[in-house]
Amino acid sequence: MKFKEIKFEDINAQRVYENYINNIKNVTKQLEKSDRLEVLMEFNSHIYESLQSKKDKSELAALLDSIDKLGSPEKVLKPLIAEKSLEKATKSFNPLEILKALLLNIGNGLSYIVFFLLYLSLGTFLFLIFAKLFNNNVGMYYRDNKFQALGYVKGAEYYEVLGNMFIPTMLMVAIGLYILITSLLKLKKAIVT
Amino acid sequence: MDNDFINKWKSQVKKGTLSFIVLNAISKKELYGYEVIEIIKKSTDIEVAEGTLYPLMNRLKKEGLTTSKWVEQESGIPRKYYMLTDKGKKDLMRMREYWKQLEKSINKITNNEI
Repeated sequence: MKFKEIKFEDINAQRVYENYINNIKNVTKQLEKSDRLEVLMEFNSHIYESLQSKKDKSELAALLDSIDKLGSPEKVLKPLIAEKSLEKATKSFNPLEILKALLLNIGNGLSYIVFFLLYLSLGTFLFLIFAKLFNNNVGMYYRDNKFQALGYVKGAEYYEVLGNMFIPTMLMVAIGLYILITSLLKLKKAIVT
Repeated sequence: MDNDFINKWKSQVKKGTLSFIVLNAISKKELYGYEVIEIIKKSTDIEVAEGTLYPLMNRLKKEGLTTSKWVEQESGIPRKYYMLTDKGKKDLMRMREYWKQLEKSINKITNNEI
């Protein structure tokens, strides 16, 4: 199936139409190719059919009317894009895509905010790795055989337990947590939809 | 504005019943997107941004209630027809039953029978 542009005789109508079509293309940029085409063709078909039913009006008036009623692509396509981008992100396991998708979905429920915060907490472990590179005192500190802190604590009663294993351990924890959260997110999507 | 509350309430009711209305509309025969909107407009006074129908159609499809197919047209601009799946038909039956029950209860309450 291919996308075919509608041709107008009125140049201004053509411009308005192309503007709207480009708008749809821009808004759907982050979707997969097939979804992008689907949305574009569906809106195009809608515009075409509604123009057919308004033959009594001028091209421009009919087009403006049709576009007005459709609504701006940014607004009406928002739920679709939020949903699709999350679908795509959990498939790819790409952290940036997931963060972006979560941000889009924050309005769709508290659970997404929780997921978002969990993802941010991942950043803590990554930060600790960098901190260790710049300050060798950063580590996992114990006191009387009990865990006290991750980071840097002063005082003779605290002692570091991981040593050179600190960075690999933090890395493993971050990766483990990342896989766990993403799998949970996938599972949630599977249950809800 | 004293109508604010009523307007909000109306838009909530419409939003909540839109999928029920759409499923009913395509239960008689397969329809393409613009047709669905025309039917909704004719049979109800729902004024939603027409574009919001498409995310809704997408959701119904994802839930397995509807399927769709593109049909080529002479104009070169194909139409996407929507129809109910078997699951969609079953679910719609249950939704109608629920609607009838709801109607009864609302009638009772509005007629002060409770």
